[in-house]
Amino acid sequence: MSKTQVQRHTRWGIFIHWFNAACWFFLLATGVALISNHDLNPLGAWYPATVRAIFGGGANLLAAHWGLGLVWLAVWLVYLVMHMSRFVAPFIKEIFTLDPNRDLEWMIKKNLQMTLGYKMMGRLVKPLGWDGHIPPQGYYNAGQKLVAQVLVLAGAVLVATGLMLVSSKYFLSAADAWVVQWSITIHFIAAGITTALLILHIYMAAISRDERPAFISMFSGTVPLEYAQHHHQLWYQELSEQKPSEVV
Amino acid sequence: MKKQLAMVIDASKCIDCKGCQASCKVANELPREQWRNWIKGADPQWQAKNRKPMTYQPGNCMQCSQATCVTACPTGATYRDGDGVVMIDRGLCIGCGQCIGACPYGARFRNEKLKVADKCDFCSSRRAVNLPPACVSTCPTKARVFGDIKDPKDPAAKLLAKNKDEAVQVVNQKTNTDPNLYYLGDPGPKHWPHEAKMPGAFEFWKNLADPAVKIAVGLTGLGALAMLGKQFLMKNDAPPQDHDHEGGGHE
Repeated sequence: MSKTQVQRHTRWGIFIHWFNAACWFFLLATGVALISNHDLNPLGAWYPATVRAIFGGGANLLAAHWGLGLVWLAVWLVYLVMHMSRFVAPFIKEIFTLDPNRDLEWMIKKNLQMTLGYKMMGRLVKPLGWDGHIPPQGYYNAGQKLVAQVLVLAGAVLVATGLMLVSSKYFLSAADAWVVQWSITIHFIAAGITTALLILHIYMAAISRDERPAFISMFSGTVPLEYAQHHHQLWYQELSEQKPSEVV
Repeated sequence: MKKQLAMVIDASKCIDCKGCQASCKVANELPREQWRNWIKGADPQWQAKNRKPMTYQPGNCMQCSQATCVTACPTGATYRDGDGVVMIDRGLCIGCGQCIGACPYGARFRNEKLKVADKCDFCSSRRAVNLPPACVSTCPTKARVFGDIKDPKDPAAKLLAKNKDEAVQVVNQKTNTDPNLYYLGDPGPKHWPHEAKMPGAFEFWKNLADPAVKIAVGLTGLGALAMLGKQFLMKNDAPPQDHDHEGGGHE
């Protein structure tokens, strides 16, 4: 078994991933606790009551959510400016580039395989004229790309609506109330969509056996060459065409 | 029994002097042109043959038992406290103004200085030092009687009990919020409160966004559980083995 490792994440990429994860955890925990309304409580009245007790009141909780949200945004802005050409632009290009035929087939087959196994998947896709092989994928697979697309867009919506909500108490007037009202509702929807996708992301990365090397690479930065070959074949082919010196 | 602070207002005693409005403004440091209380006068009918005497209806937030402003507040910044008073936590209020539209009485406004919702809270800062609300203290004819109507020994409760059949609440019939301002005498027009309406963004959240997000999170949760189950049940789920991966007709 080859132990050759290839670079998948830079140190900055690893930092921003875990920084994002930590902020997300606390922003979600405090954000859900900021909802305290009989008709809207996502988890029931006990949750906002408990978290507010921990923070010493709703006002402190709101201040903590705002403060952390602004820190999160500020660090992101620094990261985006620093890595715009080297990482951010190629990342956006990569995740928004889909190959309709291959990626649709991948989505259907991979979802069936992940829940029902290769055998059942093979049987179920036969009427479509497909075999039991899963089409090769690039640096990100189609599922990762779709999740990344939605997360990038939802993140932008969360920032825009969040800034509106903070502005409400400082810059906006009574006539702008409708902007603030819709901002809350849309902020909730964007956070809800992100939460749904994060459940999948966390399962895939931390619990699924198949993606264990990817999980480890979020600490080490590298994946085994074999993993790249099996899970991201098109990326592996790109790597093979590069100079050997670039393969760590 | 829980407390219920209320005002029992003898409208026939009101002389429209605006003392209550002035003292409220001072006590609560309200911005220019913003008021927590009012006196509603009936339109004088100069032409009528049998002219009715003028009526005056002093009022303020009615601290409704079924407060629609509390229902409309997403963060719980507006809530009913143990004294039965609808309070606003200014630190938690984000100034979205959903409560303002939800109030049938127009009792709420966005404080121009503080940029958060504002309204009468029966002078909570004065009550904290055992003073009655400023409007009650200042009223020269003592038209406003303030107290706990759940306590039979309280003057407000006694006055209300004595005039049980005469006392009226000013409500919108479609959305009766069970207000805690009671009027004696002739308060004049009683049909001015508008229907309590929840803002569109709130209705959208409650009826569409909330169930949709719950379904989305639930479905992905189920998907993750299905994959976890498969991971445990099928320990050796290998891709089909054949001579080349590019080839089509795998059997």
